[in-house]
Amino acid sequence: MAANPDNNRPQNTRAIMAFLREHAPFSNMDDAHLAHFAEHAALRFYADGDTVLSPDDGVVKRFYVVKQGRIRGERVNEKEGRTETTFEISQGECFPLAALIGERPTRTLHRADGDTFCLSIEQDAFITLFSESEPFRDFCLRGVSSLLDQVNQRIQSSAMASIGSSNSLDTPLERYALRNPIVCSPDLPVRKAVARMHENNVGSIIITDDNRHPKGIFTLRDLRTLVAEEKAPLDVPIQQVMTPDPCRLPAHADAFEAAMLMAEHHFAHLCVVDDEERLIGVVSERDLFSLQRVDLVNLARTIGTATHLRTLVSLRSDVSRLVDAMLAHGADSGQVVKIITTLNDVTVRRVLELNLKRNDPGIPFTWLTFGSEGRQEQTLLTDQDNGILFQTPDGMTEDEVRERLLPFAQNVNKELAECGFTLCKGNIMASNPKLCLSEREWDEWFIRFIDASTPQNLVYSSIFLDMRAVFGPTEPLHNLLEKVLTRIRKNALFQKMLAGNALQRRPPLTVFRGFRYVNDGNKHALDLKRQGLAPFVEAVRVFALAHGVETANTLERMDALARKGVFDAKDANAWKEAYSLIQAIRMRAHQEMLNRGEALTNYIDPDDLNPLDRRILRESFRQAQRLQQKLEVAYQL
Amino acid sequence: MLERLKHWLNGRRGPGTDPDGRNLPQPKSPGDQRLSDCRLIVLDLETTGLNVAKDEVIAIGAVAIAGGVIPLDDQFDLILRRPELDIRETVLIHGIGPEALTQGHETEDALLHLLDWMNGDPVLAYHSAFDQKFLEKTLRKTLGYSRPHTWMDVADLLPAFFPDAKPGGKGLDHWAEYFGLEVSERHHAAADALATAELTLIALNKANKDGVKTLKELNNKLRYHRRLQNMHRF
Repeated sequence: MAANPDNNRPQNTRAIMAFLREHAPFSNMDDAHLAHFAEHAALRFYADGDTVLSPDDGVVKRFYVVKQGRIRGERVNEKEGRTETTFEISQGECFPLAALIGERPTRTLHRADGDTFCLSIEQDAFITLFSESEPFRDFCLRGVSSLLDQVNQRIQSSAMASIGSSNSLDTPLERYALRNPIVCSPDLPVRKAVARMHENNVGSIIITDDNRHPKGIFTLRDLRTLVAEEKAPLDVPIQQVMTPDPCRLPAHADAFEAAMLMAEHHFAHLCVVDDEERLIGVVSERDLFSLQRVDLVNLARTIGTATHLRTLVSLRSDVSRLVDAMLAHGADSGQVVKIITTLNDVTVRRVLELNLKRNDPGIPFTWLTFGSEGRQEQTLLTDQDNGILFQTPDGMTEDEVRERLLPFAQNVNKELAECGFTLCKGNIMASNPKLCLSEREWDEWFIRFIDASTPQNLVYSSIFLDMRAVFGPTEPLHNLLEKVLTRIRKNALFQKMLAGNALQRRPPLTVFRGFRYVNDGNKHALDLKRQGLAPFVEAVRVFALAHGVETANTLERMDALARKGVFDAKDANAWKEAYSLIQAIRMRAHQEMLNRGEALTNYIDPDDLNPLDRRILRESFRQAQRLQQKLEVAYQL
Repeated sequence: MLERLKHWLNGRRGPGTDPDGRNLPQPKSPGDQRLSDCRLIVLDLETTGLNVAKDEVIAIGAVAIAGGVIPLDDQFDLILRRPELDIRETVLIHGIGPEALTQGHETEDALLHLLDWMNGDPVLAYHSAFDQKFLEKTLRKTLGYSRPHTWMDVADLLPAFFPDAKPGGKGLDHWAEYFGLEVSERHHAAADALATAELTLIALNKANKDGVKTLKELNNKLRYHRRLQNMHRF
């Protein structure tokens, strides 16, 4: 296989190589290998409905690539005696991998779906390529999941272009160079503890007991406050001024968890402990992000301590920059949506705190969020879905409480809108008297909701079933949720209705065509949220509620369902992967829209995607279809 | 391809080379060869113009159909050496410049190689009368070769098997568009030959379903179709 210069090859060979180059895995293969493919290929034609490959043909000896048209896989459903389409193979895709590698007949009838041309190579050429081309071998052995890696790599590298580093957030903490922590006992005077910090040139000291269990932490910032505010003399035992009960994580936790914990609590240091809770190291914000300009913790702290609304508003652009950086540092879409949610939570809390400072209505309440925020799945494009769960003080009626809370809530909603949380068009907001309720009222609200729902009105109201407390005591919400979940678990009819609702949004694939577009004027647009993510979110919600899973996060719900044996572990993984990829493509689109200064939408034109993304998107939609089929079987719809 | 050609030429140049063609394969006539396993040649020529009396062949592109598929290791893609030709006019259509032409192969060797490669198998082309006239003239002038080969016109083949199809016209482009084919580089002999061969595969697939199984039956079907066409003309 000498590497001939391209123009010495016959025109048709060059043309076939050019075709192959547009599609994975060929796009990653060397020219010499592509030429070998092209020179040994045969072009075959199958008219619509012709059998291409059948289980009766015996051991598979030939490798095919669709050059034009489409192949569908057919299996007979023995139970119902009807033929089902199990997969579709489009232009640039190959088959039959498993059978060819396994040297066995195919288990699926491959049929031309429309007039179709395929390029094929015989077994010996296949073996040559398989043994000589690594990308080809990798693809054959790992199939589509090898492509998923590529997509993730590309998402990272495109975001990386603006940052320039590659430290992965999946790295376990033990792999970070954990500094030997500087420790002291609780009775050491502050002055001596500070001297020890000074000698070792560190910014923090961990206070441990005789068993090396961390009892507290003292940092330079604590020292500054101590001196500036003259809180205590420098000879008091350090345990009087330390921050007790420091945040700790086990060594196998990853950098992402550490970063999230820091962002949530505004800490700059975390203790790393072994299985017996003994201190083995300290990791600082700077350790995690030293090489990078990612400043999650600092950003969270700045948001959390902002004193003016306009500061909060100006910080929103930093959030978007951070998302760019996070994608660059290898955070997957699940991690990034959690980061966004965390930062959004911090913003919401701060807006609430600032409002309480100015004008405290004097009523204990819990700020609830619904929908994507409730599921911790927010992206940069987010609108407000919130409510209030209040406790009625003695001697007041619920209406009197509302009279005080509603103006407050209205102001909060308005200010959140200024911070970039679009006002909810459906008025699912705390300033809506119907969503500012006491625990008793919420409970009644849910009873009515469960009794009176129809699949149609559930389309708009199912977001109430993804609920989370962002501010205020969590106990009242927990009590409420317990009652609601028990009711749903006992109510098979409601579950069936939820399932019916979940099936109203079909993934944008018609059975035999490529993509199905939304029906609006925007002809070539796919709505990644409503058509792509919603089928997963809604189907998973039904299973989760029916099996008493309390968490609202879709990925966590799937994990919980796999643990309970409701989902097959392999299926759960495939669905999580597919869901995450749609989310990743959506987020990347958002970042690109931001960079171009456009308004964010969830619409994308699949024609704008490269063939790899298109293919993966289609594969992901197909997984959504499978999940919906499971729902159909479970609820006999 | 070039290696094989050189190797072949060396073998041919030895003693016993017979320019009058007696060593060349015999043209086959359409008999009971089964379409599902016989070999067909699909050919396209680029010429300096449309006038067979004064224009010349510049490039020959051809692919084979064997066993109902197009094996891409069995193709012919050559530019003839014709530096004396005035090609200023057609160069725009074909994209072949004088440079490419002088790099081409000696006409005589190339044509001998073509005849050998064709192996006497039936030749198909789009509007085959044009290619047939030019190729026959070139073979006669250069090699003194005048044996009749079996030619079939793909422009007849398609309407014969798809009588209800309504492509935008009668050209190769119209049928290619009708079946949604992508032609890699239009007016490149080899690319046009491949597109023509793809259309032929489509027609052969239909022929098989219509019960046309042998070369002879195919040839008869084409003749019948042409007669029908001629009758409609009057």
